[in-house]
Amino acid sequence: MKKLRFGLLAAAVVAIVALVAVACGDDDGDGGGEGRGDTVQTIKDRGELKCGVKQTQPLFGFREADGTVVGFDIEFCKALAAAVLKDHTKVEYIDASDASTRFELLAEEEIDVLIRTTTITASRDRELAVDFAQTTFYTGQGFAVRTDSGIDSTSDMGDAIICVQTGTTTEQNVADHFTDIGLEYDPQGGLSQDVADAFFSGRCDVLTADASDLASRIAVRDDAADYKILPQIISKEPLAPGVRDYDSEWKDVVNWVVHGLIRAEEIGITQANVAQMAANPPNTEVARLLGVPFQGGEVAALGFDSVDPQFIQRAIAAVGNYGEIYDRTIGDNIPRACTLNDLVINNSGCPDGQGGIQYALPYR
Amino acid sequence: MAVATGSAPPPPSEVPLLYRRGVRRLLTQGIYVAITAVVIGYVYTSLDLREFGFGFLNEPAAFKVGNQWLVDVDGVTNSRITMYLVGVWSSLRAVLVAIALSTVIGVLVGVARLSSNWLVAQMAMLYVEIFRNTPLLVQVVLVYTILLIGAPLIENVVNVGDFFFISNRGMAMPWPVPDEGFWNAPIWFVGVWVAALIAMAVVAGRVRAQRQERERETGQPQYGNRWALGVFALGAVVSFFALGAPVSMDEPMIVGTHYIEGMVMEPEFTALVAGLTLYTSAFIAEIVRGGIQALPRGQTEAANAVGLSGYQRLTLVILPQALRQIIPSVTNQYLNINKNSSLAYAVLYDDLFRVANIVQNKAGHALEMFFVIIVTYMLISFAISVVMNFFNARVTAQRI
Amino acid sequence: MVDMPAQNPQRIVLPPHRERARRPRIVRFREWARRNLFNSRAGTLLTIITAAILALLIYGVVYFVFVDANWRVITENRWLLFAGGYPMDQEWRLWFSVMFVFLLIGLTYGTWASLGRRDHLFIVLASGFAVLLLAHGGAAIWSTIWYLIAVGLLYAGYAITIRMPREAGPGRTVQQRSVAGLLIAALPIVLIVLLAFGGARPRELEGFVLNLVLAPVGIAGGLILAIPLALGRASRMRAISWTCTTYIEVVRGAPLLGWLFVALFILDDVIGGELIVRAMVVLAVFTAAYMAEYIRGALQALPHGQSEAAHAVGLNQFQSMQLIVMPQALRISIPPMVGQAISIWKDTTLVTVILPLRELKGNADSAIAQFEFTPDRIEAYVFVAVIFWVVAFIMSRISQRVEGSLGIGER
Repeated sequence: MKKLRFGLLAAAVVAIVALVAVACGDDDGDGGGEGRGDTVQTIKDRGELKCGVKQTQPLFGFREADGTVVGFDIEFCKALAAAVLKDHTKVEYIDASDASTRFELLAEEEIDVLIRTTTITASRDRELAVDFAQTTFYTGQGFAVRTDSGIDSTSDMGDAIICVQTGTTTEQNVADHFTDIGLEYDPQGGLSQDVADAFFSGRCDVLTADASDLASRIAVRDDAADYKILPQIISKEPLAPGVRDYDSEWKDVVNWVVHGLIRAEEIGITQANVAQMAANPPNTEVARLLGVPFQGGEVAALGFDSVDPQFIQRAIAAVGNYGEIYDRTIGDNIPRACTLNDLVINNSGCPDGQGGIQYALPYR
Repeated sequence: MAVATGSAPPPPSEVPLLYRRGVRRLLTQGIYVAITAVVIGYVYTSLDLREFGFGFLNEPAAFKVGNQWLVDVDGVTNSRITMYLVGVWSSLRAVLVAIALSTVIGVLVGVARLSSNWLVAQMAMLYVEIFRNTPLLVQVVLVYTILLIGAPLIENVVNVGDFFFISNRGMAMPWPVPDEGFWNAPIWFVGVWVAALIAMAVVAGRVRAQRQERERETGQPQYGNRWALGVFALGAVVSFFALGAPVSMDEPMIVGTHYIEGMVMEPEFTALVAGLTLYTSAFIAEIVRGGIQALPRGQTEAANAVGLSGYQRLTLVILPQALRQIIPSVTNQYLNINKNSSLAYAVLYDDLFRVANIVQNKAGHALEMFFVIIVTYMLISFAISVVMNFFNARVTAQRI
Repeated sequence: MVDMPAQNPQRIVLPPHRERARRPRIVRFREWARRNLFNSRAGTLLTIITAAILALLIYGVVYFVFVDANWRVITENRWLLFAGGYPMDQEWRLWFSVMFVFLLIGLTYGTWASLGRRDHLFIVLASGFAVLLLAHGGAAIWSTIWYLIAVGLLYAGYAITIRMPREAGPGRTVQQRSVAGLLIAALPIVLIVLLAFGGARPRELEGFVLNLVLAPVGIAGGLILAIPLALGRASRMRAISWTCTTYIEVVRGAPLLGWLFVALFILDDVIGGELIVRAMVVLAVFTAAYMAEYIRGALQALPHGQSEAAHAVGLNQFQSMQLIVMPQALRISIPPMVGQAISIWKDTTLVTVILPLRELKGNADSAIAQFEFTPDRIEAYVFVAVIFWVVAFIMSRISQRVEGSLGIGER
């Protein structure tokens, strides 16, 4: 008799708990998997952009003592928030420092956009629920070694211990490269912060990562002279914002915000003069980019379905043009002139074989 | 079953149908099963199962797995499942070492907690309080950081007689490996020697049992343990040379900036095992102390009365009895070690959890990978439980 | 008639321990040392070796703390470590919660236990530590004042309740009832203060605040789920006991890290909602499986006579469960439950390993990613360990004192 009632009680409570769970699930059962192309609307309804960023990489995405997140990638989050929500502070920064879970965060709609030094690759585009927008930063995979190590290229690295970030294209590149040159190596994987710490502690002979990443980590050290970055670059690493598959509207917005910021630099619109330019546009192109009428005429409405024509203007007003973002966040440590990230139109003064490839598509 | 109730139950025919126990039970369970089915159905439908399947595990891995021990599996050509098994092997290695170490340290600290020496008892208490009350994750990460920063660089390696090398790339030590021996025998020949060792162990066990039997009959000490050990050691040495020394010690060397040969304990492995050991041994110490304190005081007094020394009292009287209470709880701690070994994720040690995560990152299929992880942990837990239950049965069967 | 007491009126015979107490302190100390430190040759050797190790350890710790370490990584990143992304202009909510909890601790102590000399010492030491941390830099003077007010409230609550009369026996006083009610309501109150009416959004709970929110939610949720689970497992109905057993064994079979993986990748499709809420659900569901086993053990340990007696005095099953069996079972299971609670407290660090939630350890990682603090990794992790230790120590201390006064474990 006793046990019977126990069971009844238990069953009742379990049932209640289950019902509550089901009921809660119904409230916001938004399903997962592929986005349905309504991310912009979701962001507007929420009133906030969920931006997946790094929190442990100097220069690109890290945290200040007061808890704020700062860096090169962060500026693009602000630009997007300004474009979509008209307020660059309406960003929720979500930690995507762990490379091995970042795409799941995107797929599971934990974040709207992934801006954390992520490389565009075909296999990611094909296998994962991710689409890439315009590249924000071009780099390639490089190697850092200690100056006194006697290593000058990857062919000196036979049986070396190489620190490499797990779950990244870097990891695969280095494996491919060593297969190609027929050498063995010992991997030591981990999070980017952890493997960098391991390298600087002497745990491994070589640290391999994006050349920009290496530069940023070495530049800020007191003993920077003890390390060198090899000139050899073994891969292309175009770093771009990632959005969910099957959401062309949102991808377009992200894409054109980035292009718009680059275009702004090409034609000389800056954070300082954007308001004045908008009030009095010198030509039709500036007017179209900033979404304002030219000489009293109707503006060619180039906003997208979900955002109004002034979205690029707001982005520039919030963070400045591409060059300003670069100079403000990473310019002191990673020189820009005549590197891949310089504008194509500035290439005239560069030595042969060098020069930038940043080039905005026409906004019309 | 007869339930002891105050009044005699009325005959079944008088009870309304709805109040009959059998009917009620059936009804309750029916409702329960229905609700459970609804919940499971809901979960099932809300999961995205369109691409569910385990085929992706057979594709090439295309990533390397570090910290390999006794195996050398190339991640470029092997399949993902193979790399996962390498991770399982790494986990097992860490778990087994951590279990052994935490048991030894745990028992020592637990006994020290009850030491009559005030200072020793206080030190043991300090140990327990510190390591039991801080997160294992922080312990593991802290040990790893200290090893990386504190241990010498490979250039300044500490060399102990060319046998041990200590640097922040790990500790290298000699390790037995199969060898051709005097007779240029094939590698598998070492198996013959291992078989001989097992046979020797059986013989030694028989000798010990016989000696103990005689001791019980005659009352004269027969030194069963020493005899057994002697027989085994002699047999091992003789068979080793008789078979042409099929095993040799592999001494570590440093070439350039890395170790070759020997066995290398990487800082990742050391940090994980050290963290698991510090944390778990603090719990085991408390279990051991509880087990000893639960014994009646008369046991200690009786042991003193028959003139046993402190060490004899502990090993012959106290611990064997306390084991009955200790083993079940310690088994739980071993299972915890198994589960906590997943913290390898935080110190870059490529255990099963970490490799599974890499696979999941490359191929998606989170749900499938999660099933694989859970089943693996359960299998390891099951193996530990089986072994410990066997021990427990031995201990409780023995009359003390 | 009996003249025995008058035999020797000059000499009062004291019991042996009082007799010893009359000797000078130094003599007593020497006797104590001989008994406890130098009782034999081996014992003396052991003492000397242990003392040497201890001295080395103390030297190492002191050298590290006062000479080697650069504690600026902590003092500069105070806000990042403790509150992280919590809106800075809402800081008063954090302090309000701290004061409320401190007051509650005082009330609890005053009602069920009393502060011993060690407790006072601990409070003074912990406060010194906190003030040292908070008072660094001029702008932080208010934090120090808020903290000191919180400690003052702890003592005020204690002073009020300790004076109230305590009833011996099973009945509960009004005071005990109201403090217990406050304790139960504490978690919702703190959550409302932190989050509701213009406070932070759940996602902004970060750093140490996140640990302090996750653990109680996990513990409370676990306890609520554990009771039906334990009863279900003990049920004689196959379907119920079988599912409950399966649930408990499966959850206990895999590591928490694995279940947090579920919160991120799988639970999203099932219950949705904020990630932090899903993490809380997973923590509660995980804790419940362990707690259910402790309750089941306690149920089995209860003598059968208890429920029979309840039946004999005419209580029905539900009443017997509610009034007789459960209270006793929960009481027996308090010590392992506290162990589980401390375990969950420590396990809150795991959310940072696999989920994009930044608790104290995660924000310590962020702090050492700042340029100037990259060499100070050991300092950051030592600090995290100390903070966790302090809270775990407080938890175990309170439970010990309360257990002692409730007479748990005594028969």
